[in-house]
Amino acid sequence: MARASNVKNRLNRGDGAWAYAFIAIALVVYALFTAYPVVSAFLVSFQEYRPLGSEYIGFDNYSGIFASELFWKAIMNTLVYTVLTVPVALIISFAVAIAIMPLKKWAQTTFKAIYYLPAVASGVALSVVWLWIYDPLPGGILNQLIGMLGIPSQNWLGASSTSMFSLVLMSWLSSHGTSIIIYVAALLGIDESYYEAAEIDGATFWQKMWHIVLPCLKPTTLFLLVTGVIGSFQVFQNAYLMTGGGPDHSTTMVGLLIFDTAFKYFEFGKAAAQSLVLAAIIGVIAFIQFKFLGKDVEY
Amino acid sequence: MKSKTKIAASVLALTLSLGTLSACGSGNNNEPAQTAKPSNTANGGASEAKDTITALLPPVSPTYQENFKQMEADFNKLYPNLTLKIEPASWEDMTQKLDTQVNAGSPPDLAFIGSDGISKYAQMGMLLDIKDLVSADMIADYDEAALAYMKNGDGLYGLPAYMEVHSIGGNKQFLEEAGVDWKKVQQEGWTYDEFREAIKKGVVKEGDKTSRYGFVFATAGVASKDYLSILVKNAGMPSPFTKDLKYAYTSKNYLTVLNAVRELIDDGSMPKELSSVDAGKRWNMFLTGQTMITGKGLAVFENSANKNNAKIDAKDGSAVEGSIKVDYIALPLPSFAGQEPVSHAVVDGYVAFRGKKDPTDEHKANIAKAAYFLSSGQVAATTNNDLFAAHITKSAREAAASMESNRNPDNIAAVDKMLEHAAPARPDIPVELGSKAIKLENEVVIPKLQALLAGEITPQEMYDAVKKGAIEAFGADGVVQD
Repeated sequence: MARASNVKNRLNRGDGAWAYAFIAIALVVYALFTAYPVVSAFLVSFQEYRPLGSEYIGFDNYSGIFASELFWKAIMNTLVYTVLTVPVALIISFAVAIAIMPLKKWAQTTFKAIYYLPAVASGVALSVVWLWIYDPLPGGILNQLIGMLGIPSQNWLGASSTSMFSLVLMSWLSSHGTSIIIYVAALLGIDESYYEAAEIDGATFWQKMWHIVLPCLKPTTLFLLVTGVIGSFQVFQNAYLMTGGGPDHSTTMVGLLIFDTAFKYFEFGKAAAQSLVLAAIIGVIAFIQFKFLGKDVEY
Repeated sequence: MKSKTKIAASVLALTLSLGTLSACGSGNNNEPAQTAKPSNTANGGASEAKDTITALLPPVSPTYQENFKQMEADFNKLYPNLTLKIEPASWEDMTQKLDTQVNAGSPPDLAFIGSDGISKYAQMGMLLDIKDLVSADMIADYDEAALAYMKNGDGLYGLPAYMEVHSIGGNKQFLEEAGVDWKKVQQEGWTYDEFREAIKKGVVKEGDKTSRYGFVFATAGVASKDYLSILVKNAGMPSPFTKDLKYAYTSKNYLTVLNAVRELIDDGSMPKELSSVDAGKRWNMFLTGQTMITGKGLAVFENSANKNNAKIDAKDGSAVEGSIKVDYIALPLPSFAGQEPVSHAVVDGYVAFRGKKDPTDEHKANIAKAAYFLSSGQVAATTNNDLFAAHITKSAREAAASMESNRNPDNIAAVDKMLEHAAPARPDIPVELGSKAIKLENEVVIPKLQALLAGEITPQEMYDAVKKGAIEAFGADGVVQD
């Protein structure tokens, strides 16, 4: 009996070693492709980077960033984009999830697949379609649509007054698939007995929504809010492909500014500093979100 | 069984890890191929050691990339010990691909880029000066004006493939309907006032809607910087810097051009949505008869128009939808404020790079040989003929003599005339000044131009913003104050 136990312990010890071996692979990949670039970016942010030999310049890159009007404008643009897109995206995702919940399994799956489709489609291909929709001439699709309502045609991406709205609209009407799937999964996790008890008490649809669904989905909503804000602060592709940050920097987001600084002007030190400042801003916002919204949330 | 599974899993895991590590370990620092031997000669030109020269090349002409295999074979035939390894790239990812390789310290030996990119890479110290590597015979083959564009300071950083001018292109039928004497314009040019009146006459309205504009220039996307930079050359500012290296776009003539940019839209001769019209859109508008004149124009556009005409004749479904037959007429840009017309010259070519490690003398010499091979003789003749571009080497002219071309002789004469007025190269502009000007252009000029085109700011406001940015970048003494 004792011998059998010893053998089992040896095997367990062996399993532990294997577990560490497999974890090590993930750790090595993480260290190479995440940790190392972050540490490297931190070091580069204090340098004037040159492929043939960089020079340490202290905090010059950081002071340059904070003195730059364009950086603050990009921060403000990103903030506006985030405020306009993330809450609406959550509401749309939640509404769609609620709408497809009562459907049969096959119908639910079909809708989830349809809503998830933009997530697997190429962002470049989607942008081409949107560029077509936003054709500024009177024959453009969106201009024809608003023309039916008697509204004159708009220079959607070429005017400061409409360019940010155009990017926001594009975000509102695409890429909710992941959030919808997460919300549906969370809705399925709510115990039926809550609804039964509420029905016995004569609760209406909205009362059930307010007193059961929203509180039960709070951890999910907080997760989607935090990840949504992080994603939104890092937005790059839409601005890069649709407007290039224009006109007059009205859609220059921080992500695009970092890209331009690095790959247009080759100021990698400054770009690294901008990235770290952005990471700090995102960290502070995530902390605030958890502090004020995550008090009674447990994962 | 369990043990076998663990062993298999660990082997797979190890392979994965090693794959990752080996990916990081590989690098190409422009070192010659392993078979290369050190050379004792000054420029290595006489060595017969094996070597490989890499080249990153975009689709310079419609058939250029189809000829890569032939080009590699012909080069190897000419130099049996050398291998030319061509990496194709699309125009869209050419800059990004090259920039990534340059910043990693392992660029290709040669890349086809515009001469205006030389200062950017020279500032990083990543260009290879081939001044002492090319022979006197090679240099004598090139037109001096074109070759000068590949210089910066005392260095020669590549060899030019062609010299083109940025012009504008008109629809012959519409020009004649509007009463424009296009042959006279081709030979004598026109002033802004003459141009403004001409394009007004080119506008066709159906009720409130404009069915044809007088002039449409691409100002969005990659073309965003072209419009203004081409116009200002004809307003006494052939370069962003004057001969005494003061930033020129603070001159009052710059404001004159900005006023003109706005006037042409306010006249209704150009679309009010101009800020969103990209290169593809305006070409479509030109071929579908929605504009009389388009810009920017390049000689190759005549070829594109001719090809589309042939498709229309053949009732080929791949002709541009809704297009009409167009006789493309190359025209110069108008001149402003009584200034001499100056054409915006475009010189693209094969620029030589170095990696983190300095290449051997032998390898440097081989890079120069490859650059000369690609930019002259048969290769250049074939490419430039395909592009309708002017040849800039004697050897290419000779090779092209027997090649057929269906270019309009009036357009050839017009382009030659414009080339006579081409802005001269400015290798004297220090790279630091050049890069500051590029940054000012990207961060102030282009964004403000977009706002000006959209009617959000006035020409004076844009001028003030550019002047403010210029003074911040170059100092009050570093800019023109007239």
